[in-house]
Amino acid sequence: MTAAVAGAVDAVAAELRKVLTLPATLGALVVAVLGPVALAALTASQNPRGSAAEAALAAEPLVMVGAIVLGVVAVSSEYGGGRQIASTFAAMPRRPAVLAAKAAVVAVLVAAAAAAAFPAALLAARLVAGPGPDADGVLGRAVGGGVYAVLTALIALAITVFARSGVVPLVVLVANGSVVSVSFLLYQVTPLARYLPDLAGMRMVAGEDRLAIDDALAPVAGGLVMAAWTAALLAVAAVVLVRRDA
Amino acid sequence: MLTFDDVVKRRGAREVLSGVTFRAEPGRVTAFLGPNGAGKSSTLRILLGLDRPTSGRALVDGRPYLALRRPLGVIGSVLDGSGAHRSRSARQHLAWVARSNGIPRRRVGEVLEQVGLTDAARVRAGRLSLGMGQRLGLAAALLGKPRALVLDEPVNGLDPEGIRWIRRLLRSHAEAGGTVLLSSHLMTEVAELADDLVVIAAGQVVAAGPLDAVTAGHPTLEDAFFALTGGAS
Ligand SMILES: Nc1ncnc2c1ncn2[C@@H]1O[C@H](COP(=O)(O)OP(=O)(O)OP(=O)(O)O)[C@@H](O)[C@H]1O
Ligand SMILES: [Mg+2]
Repeated sequence: MTAAVAGAVDAVAAELRKVLTLPATLGALVVAVLGPVALAALTASQNPRGSAAEAALAAEPLVMVGAIVLGVVAVSSEYGGGRQIASTFAAMPRRPAVLAAKAAVVAVLVAAAAAAAFPAALLAARLVAGPGPDADGVLGRAVGGGVYAVLTALIALAITVFARSGVVPLVVLVANGSVVSVSFLLYQVTPLARYLPDLAGMRMVAGEDRLAIDDALAPVAGGLVMAAWTAALLAVAAVVLVRRDA
Repeated sequence: MLTFDDVVKRRGAREVLSGVTFRAEPGRVTAFLGPNGAGKSSTLRILLGLDRPTSGRALVDGRPYLALRRPLGVIGSVLDGSGAHRSRSARQHLAWVARSNGIPRRRVGEVLEQVGLTDAARVRAGRLSLGMGQRLGLAAALLGKPRALVLDEPVNGLDPEGIRWIRRLLRSHAEAGGTVLLSSHLMTEVAELADDLVVIAAGQVVAAGPLDAVTAGHPTLEDAFFALTGGAS
């Protein structure tokens, strides 16, 4: 094993330990997995003739909430509650490697949560009200939902590096995803807003007929645009971490 | 050996450190003394690669901290408090620190024992008393069996028994050939412990050398401190 690989393995293993011993992580995973199950069952019970698959897909935003929390907490825990950041950088002075390790750990956890949440939510909806009518491209949209959640978590992680605190990124990202989307408001001003990360990736999850904007990017193209945003934000976060005093 | 070579740190318009130059030698305890705000923590943070100097450099055995692979086997440090997230237990904190540097897991139990925290291993860091937090920070510093120890006000919060214990620990570390650099406000606190003194005031080193040389000609240690740092007596 080369030194660089050994260093990366050390960093990922350490960051995994850190994330798994934070109470907020457990909460986020519960929201991301049990939340969609409960919501899908509720939707199915209120609309017994509806499609179980649509009910499960409609519960995906709760995976997103858990994903945002995981991304934010992985970084904000370094700055709040005891300023652990000094311990982290004293132990692992290569800051981009620390960021990469955090991103890898968060991505894997969110992907695992999404992979567990969708089948469980689907099962719950079917148990409550039967399968109901088919929905279009269910598997693709379920996978797209997982990808969307992973990218959202990584964007949250990068933004928290800039903020050095969890509160603002959490409120902004969760509100942006649920109450009112800033990108959607911008879209009323310019159609270029469909290239913003949250709108760009939207068609990965939502069926064409359910979108609030009518010229949304196609699923794969939109996913790539969102991934490019994510990579760019993480790269800027790495530069900020290296330049800034810990 | 720890070397500081003309370290300058500017924060905004203010110069916090103005050309700090000194060394901490192996086999000796070096005390870094100065009043509040003199620049002790700033200097140590630059050594540990946490803050970037505006100019100059600080080296660990001739290398910048950022170039160290698995640094905890070379240099252990305690800044303020435990350095642990408040909702993690002492054991959980030490476990990730050990893993980050490929340090065997059994060291966690060993250092907990060494600093007297075995019974508090499962207590969340946020619930530890000030002195216990200091001990946890020290445990993390000792994990990798480093040759150099850097401690920012290590005595802060320790009870008399703890103070005596840490003095013995640091003395024996130096006697075994290790390098110890610790900061303090109190000359009396380090008089029995330090071989060398470095006194800093307003970002500048105003005296450095063996303890008796630095304090020579002053009636008491306190007088020496005030005379050197320009404070009221
Ligand atoms: N993050 C920061 N931002 C702005 N100024 C800072 C920062 N950290 C330290 N300073 C300033 O730098 C100067 C040196 O501070 P430093 O903490 O190094 O002093 P110190 O000798 O460790 O003091 P103390 O004995 O109180 O711990 C002080 O004037 C302080 O206000
Ligand atoms: Mg200080």
